[in-house]
Amino acid sequence: MNALVNLLPHLVNGISLGLLFALIALGFMLIIGVMETINLAHGSLFALGMYAALFVAAPKFGWAPEWQVAYLALPIGTRYAIALFAAPVIVGVLGLLLELCLRRTYGRDPLYGLLLTFGAALVIEEGIRIVWGSNEQQLPLPAAISGAFMVGDLIYSKYRVFASLFAIVSIVGLWAFLEKTPYGAIIKAGAHDSEMVRALGINLGRLRAAVFALGVALAALAGVVMAPIWGIRPQVGVDAVVPAFLIIVLGGVGSLWGAVVAGLLVGLVVGFTGAFASEWSLMSMYLLFIAVVTFRARGLFGKKSVLDT
Amino acid sequence: MNDLHPDHAAAEASSAPASPVRRRLLTATAAGAAGVAGFFGPWTHHRVWAQAAQAKPLVIGLTMDASGQYAASGGEERLGAMMAIKEFNDKGGVLGRRIEAMHMDTETTPATGSRVAERMITRNEAAFLIGAVHSGVANAISQVAQKYGTIFMNTNSSSPTESGKDCHRVKFVWDGNGSNFANAIVKNAMKSSGKNWVLLTNDYVWGHNTAKATRSIIEGNGGKVVEELLVPQNTRDFSSYLLKLQQLKPNVVATAVGGDDIKALRQQVVQLGLQKNMAWINNQQDWPDVYGLGPDAIFGVFGTTWYYRLDLPGVKEFVASYQKLFPGMAIRVPGNVFHNGYMATRELLRCVEEAGTTNNLAIIKKLEGRKMSARDRLQHHDAWIDPASHQCQQTIYMASYNDSPAEKDDIFKILASVEPKDVVDGDAPKNCKLESYEATPSYQT
Repeated sequence: MNALVNLLPHLVNGISLGLLFALIALGFMLIIGVMETINLAHGSLFALGMYAALFVAAPKFGWAPEWQVAYLALPIGTRYAIALFAAPVIVGVLGLLLELCLRRTYGRDPLYGLLLTFGAALVIEEGIRIVWGSNEQQLPLPAAISGAFMVGDLIYSKYRVFASLFAIVSIVGLWAFLEKTPYGAIIKAGAHDSEMVRALGINLGRLRAAVFALGVALAALAGVVMAPIWGIRPQVGVDAVVPAFLIIVLGGVGSLWGAVVAGLLVGLVVGFTGAFASEWSLMSMYLLFIAVVTFRARGLFGKKSVLDT
Repeated sequence: MNDLHPDHAAAEASSAPASPVRRRLLTATAAGAAGVAGFFGPWTHHRVWAQAAQAKPLVIGLTMDASGQYAASGGEERLGAMMAIKEFNDKGGVLGRRIEAMHMDTETTPATGSRVAERMITRNEAAFLIGAVHSGVANAISQVAQKYGTIFMNTNSSSPTESGKDCHRVKFVWDGNGSNFANAIVKNAMKSSGKNWVLLTNDYVWGHNTAKATRSIIEGNGGKVVEELLVPQNTRDFSSYLLKLQQLKPNVVATAVGGDDIKALRQQVVQLGLQKNMAWINNQQDWPDVYGLGPDAIFGVFGTTWYYRLDLPGVKEFVASYQKLFPGMAIRVPGNVFHNGYMATRELLRCVEEAGTTNNLAIIKKLEGRKMSARDRLQHHDAWIDPASHQCQQTIYMASYNDSPAEKDDIFKILASVEPKDVVDGDAPKNCKLESYEATPSYQT
């Protein structure tokens, strides 16, 4: 009984971690599932989301100082809420520019798209260093979601609870968008049969651009949410893109719920090994991946596209 | 027997002198072998560069991280080396030769460190190598350096093994190591905070050996290590570790975690408020790893080898030089990592001047046993290089967060300075087996 009581906090922690991993993988899943493009710039866009949020929540620029002073006079809660929604939009717009560059690679060897997004990842990371420098930065948080609370004699982070709930809302929101809205239906149709969608008069180019921008915005959103946990550094994107790739393949390329379940599994495995076999905590997700893919190469819920979420 | 008899012909053939063609071939082969032989054999490997007689620039290879876990510290130590090099170049270089620094990113990865060192020595003609924060990288570089006899100034790695079992004749270690810091901090922490300890250890050579040194002091003074949790490098999420710590309820947590990992750990400890529930000791806290984190995150007691506000002659001028040479840097004042990079480079170049030659063995002999005054080192106590282990024995400072800062960057409060003789790593000389001078390839550039 005592052992079970000791395990419970780690179970809860693992689920929380898993939800965050799933959130990180969402944007990556959307782009690869709909456009069949591996966006290696996902990690850098995740990092860019953090910096965009920092810029919105705590701007420091030399021009228009009176506007800056007035804006900074707003409560941090308001500025954080603005950052949470504005940062993904800003980065999503930049995603449109990246998609413009990617158009020439459609229909060609997938290696071209891979190389282009890899190059974009390097450019974005160096761009971050030039603009913001290499040092660690902090995203200010409102008091309501900062600090800790006790459950029994254990302390939990309020922010982690907020982040986990936000991840659930984001996942459900994306599912609802894809399943319950006409736009989602068009996206799914485009993934399934792009020629038919074009024949029905829908602009395929705009559809792809919109999906890519949405995927990039989701990457940035994950960055904003993870910023207070992982810290803001130019190279933090590497810590996101590798687990995202692993989760997508583990869950089944193109499957939303596959990504969610895979994320939860990875979170649980990393959480438990961190507590009880800590030297294996980073390796554990790769061992899980090998174990699953060896017996089920398409992943847990392997589907061709996001058509069957 | 007539001349045409077969036996006579055979006898004639066996005693006949070698033909001219064969003679030329044999002579050429012998000459070639003699020439090539000079380049083989590990015992006396002479490299005399063709342009040594001219004022060829002296190339120094900076084997420092620009990416990975220790990228921030790698950047800082590079600035330190560059400042020392500039000071010499402003005075005309060394031995009449301008110094050129060449930097390659060692990526906080031992394999890359090996490759970079090999390339710098064999292709770029680097006379000396300077750098390394990660002890695994330092060890890899030093093996390559020893193979060629290239002097390697290991600026900032802190595993006790670097001056212990992994020491080399060509390697000189300029930072305090895990044993030095543990000797300075752990005993006092046991008296003030308690005897039940948990170790949080980065899962590589520096973490392991620092934890080993810490554990031996704890257990030697009646304390208990309740558990040791290994932290793989590049860990970002410490939630499971922190939950485990809460369940274990130690008096003290001793961390041997560095680089980006310690930044993430500190932030996540603060989010839970755990810095108030138990005492925290960080064996060694490098300046780039805490600068900009915010006051709450600089909790606990930690070790360092230098601070920019030490009340000592020369410190203000040193800081001013940094700010003049590197204006607009995100880290506005130098720290221990920069200090080590600068001091190692400066002493190397001074030894080259004093030796009057770039011959590696002559310079090594200048470095071994070298004494450096406290004033020269900008520290409280004199320092020296232990000839048995090649580690710089220097002042160790214990510090904590400064809650009454004189200025924005004044984030450390120096609690005590400890003389080097009081924190010597006693095991290093026993474990260190330096290669003989004869076994070390000699060269001159």
